[in-house]
Amino acid sequence: MAPTGSAWHEGLSRVDRRVLFLAVAAAVALPLLFPLNLPIRISQEARAFHREMEGVAPGRVILLSFDYEPDTMAELDPMSLAVLRHAFGRGVRVVAMTTYAGGVGIAERILAQAAAEAGKSYGTDYAFLGYNPDYSATMLRIGESLRGAYPTDNYGRPTDELPLLQGVDRYAEIPLVVTISASALSEYWVIWAGGKYHARIIAGNTAIQAVLIYPFLQTGQLAGMLGGLKGAAEYERLVGRDGAGVRGMDAQSLAHFLIVLFILLGNLGYLLQRRVRARETRV
Amino acid sequence: MSATDAGVIVAAVLTLAIFSFLYRDNPFYRFAESLLVGVSAGYYVVHYFDSGVVHKFWVPVVQQKQFWLLPGGLLGLLMLARLWPRVQWISRFAIAFYVAAWSGYLIPSVLQERILKQVAGSLLPAAGSASLGAFLGAALVLCGVVAILVYFYFSAEHRGLAGRVSRVGILVLMLGFGASFGYTVMGRLSLLIGRFQFLFQDLPASLRHLSH
Amino acid sequence: MKRTGPVLLGFLVGMLMLIQYFTPNRWIEARYNNVLDWKQVVFGVTLILGVLSLLLHHGRLIRRRASGWGYSWVTVAGLSVMIVAGVLRGKEHGPYPWMFEYVQSPMQATLFALLAFYVASASYRAFRARSLPAGLLLIAGVIVMLGRVPLGEMIGFHAGERFYSLATLSDWVLAVPNLAAKRGIMIGVGLGMTATAIKIILGIERTYLGKGA
Repeated sequence: MAPTGSAWHEGLSRVDRRVLFLAVAAAVALPLLFPLNLPIRISQEARAFHREMEGVAPGRVILLSFDYEPDTMAELDPMSLAVLRHAFGRGVRVVAMTTYAGGVGIAERILAQAAAEAGKSYGTDYAFLGYNPDYSATMLRIGESLRGAYPTDNYGRPTDELPLLQGVDRYAEIPLVVTISASALSEYWVIWAGGKYHARIIAGNTAIQAVLIYPFLQTGQLAGMLGGLKGAAEYERLVGRDGAGVRGMDAQSLAHFLIVLFILLGNLGYLLQRRVRARETRV
Repeated sequence: MSATDAGVIVAAVLTLAIFSFLYRDNPFYRFAESLLVGVSAGYYVVHYFDSGVVHKFWVPVVQQKQFWLLPGGLLGLLMLARLWPRVQWISRFAIAFYVAAWSGYLIPSVLQERILKQVAGSLLPAAGSASLGAFLGAALVLCGVVAILVYFYFSAEHRGLAGRVSRVGILVLMLGFGASFGYTVMGRLSLLIGRFQFLFQDLPASLRHLSH
Repeated sequence: MKRTGPVLLGFLVGMLMLIQYFTPNRWIEARYNNVLDWKQVVFGVTLILGVLSLLLHHGRLIRRRASGWGYSWVTVAGLSVMIVAGVLRGKEHGPYPWMFEYVQSPMQATLFALLAFYVASASYRAFRARSLPAGLLLIAGVIVMLGRVPLGEMIGFHAGERFYSLATLSDWVLAVPNLAAKRGIMIGVGLGMTATAIKIILGIERTYLGKGA
């Protein structure tokens, strides 16, 4: 017969998953509806990312690659928008591309929004080259000739005719490559574009990917990095315009503390059960 | 009703249909999931055809007379042989071309960027640190990397000194995996925050347009 | 021929792509660009092949009236509508971008958002500090989770002029043990990738060619 009081130990480890789901939903929803406006500390990586963007002279052209699809747009859209706002605000011109077919619609939406806000013209201030299959071949081909990799832009217009690309055809003529990426794309930019062509690269990543590329940041192969929605929030603060990144931080905070509470509860239940069983065995 | 407002409402309904899986598997979720598979496959095939075949082959060859692209088109056709089991072996030429080309340009780049520069990144900071704290950090990184590489060397049994060093490697790996776990939780929650932002901000805005 | 031909082609192409890295020879550089362009055409066709396989699979389910075949009709209908819309009305305007924006995107995003709930449930049920390695994993995970959010960044103490918080500890975990772990894995995987690539070019590794190679 189980000793009295062991039931609550077991209960600690047996909360119904739907209760957990509701708790997570509440932890995320409530701060979105009732913001706490918690202060946001800026990391060194985000400062480095911002510094690299600030280092590009007005009028120069940067390459911005939308290396993600709708599944990670919640984390990466705020970064992409902040990069464009930063660039356009400083008079830096942007040639955009994507290594994912699903990135085309995302890139068009964000470019249209940022360009409309800043009053920028297609072809002169920015251009979108679209999607090319095979990311490694594309990254290497750009090193030989951007116009060779993309004979036309996303809308069928010959890239030779774009005013933006006059005098810009290789990484050597592009002061900064910015990749906003899910999966390992930022690593591939370092390997293919950074390796053979010594392109200067900064990367905005999903949180899952960001933790993997610290080695590249430490060696300088990546000059700056943003990690996850927190990274987006930090960069929005540096650029001076809050967006979805900052707005999501209260929810992120509360939800993280809730998950840690779940972990501690589960382990507490486990430890207490182990102790009870050990006592029962001795008896 | 504008196309945007109609779209937001459709998006909200489909979002809730996917979320319904949290309660249990149900026909609304399965309908939404099947629709997603079909629509996304259709979206991708149009883009792949347009960028991979039309813009990368048809337009350059037919309109710009870039006939040196013909071998690429031939290899692409050979790849289609995979659809018929009796002639599937023909696609091996296209696969071999693709995989070997990738292997060729991979070797020097990976050696340089993933191995040599990473080894240098482990040794140089330890040798040239500006402060005691930086030196200690760099030394810990170097020891951790060496311990992990000893652990990954499976050609010899992990006994004695090698065994103890590889045990340290495992502990360092666990700290790294813990950091990955923390960031994975962060990433997944961020995606949920994005959907809730859509439901609490974009959807009410569209509904307000409809009511005016 | 069925085996030797592809392996020989692979050797020639692989050696070309390897040598081009080390030589400024114009002829080799031109062939290098040719191979990159051909590779993109092959990749594009391969991706189309993937979608065709999906269509054939669902076609078989519908023909056999297999379990859930009604949902296969939904998949085929969605695929057909997108192709027709893209071909007839174009990719820039009309139903094709609308369906991407309001059907595909939200569902794709929501499918991944579901994982937040499951990671919470898994953390509660399965994340146990049963041993020293598991305990270290748990501690590092908790430190990073708390230290990388604004609420956690406020928890700490002043020492002199500096404020030491969970964020300081989290930064250290990421910059030292995490860096060491990821670098060790990166070097190990890099060595494996290089060895496999050499074996592929030399024809020693042929499993990528399928059965009978």
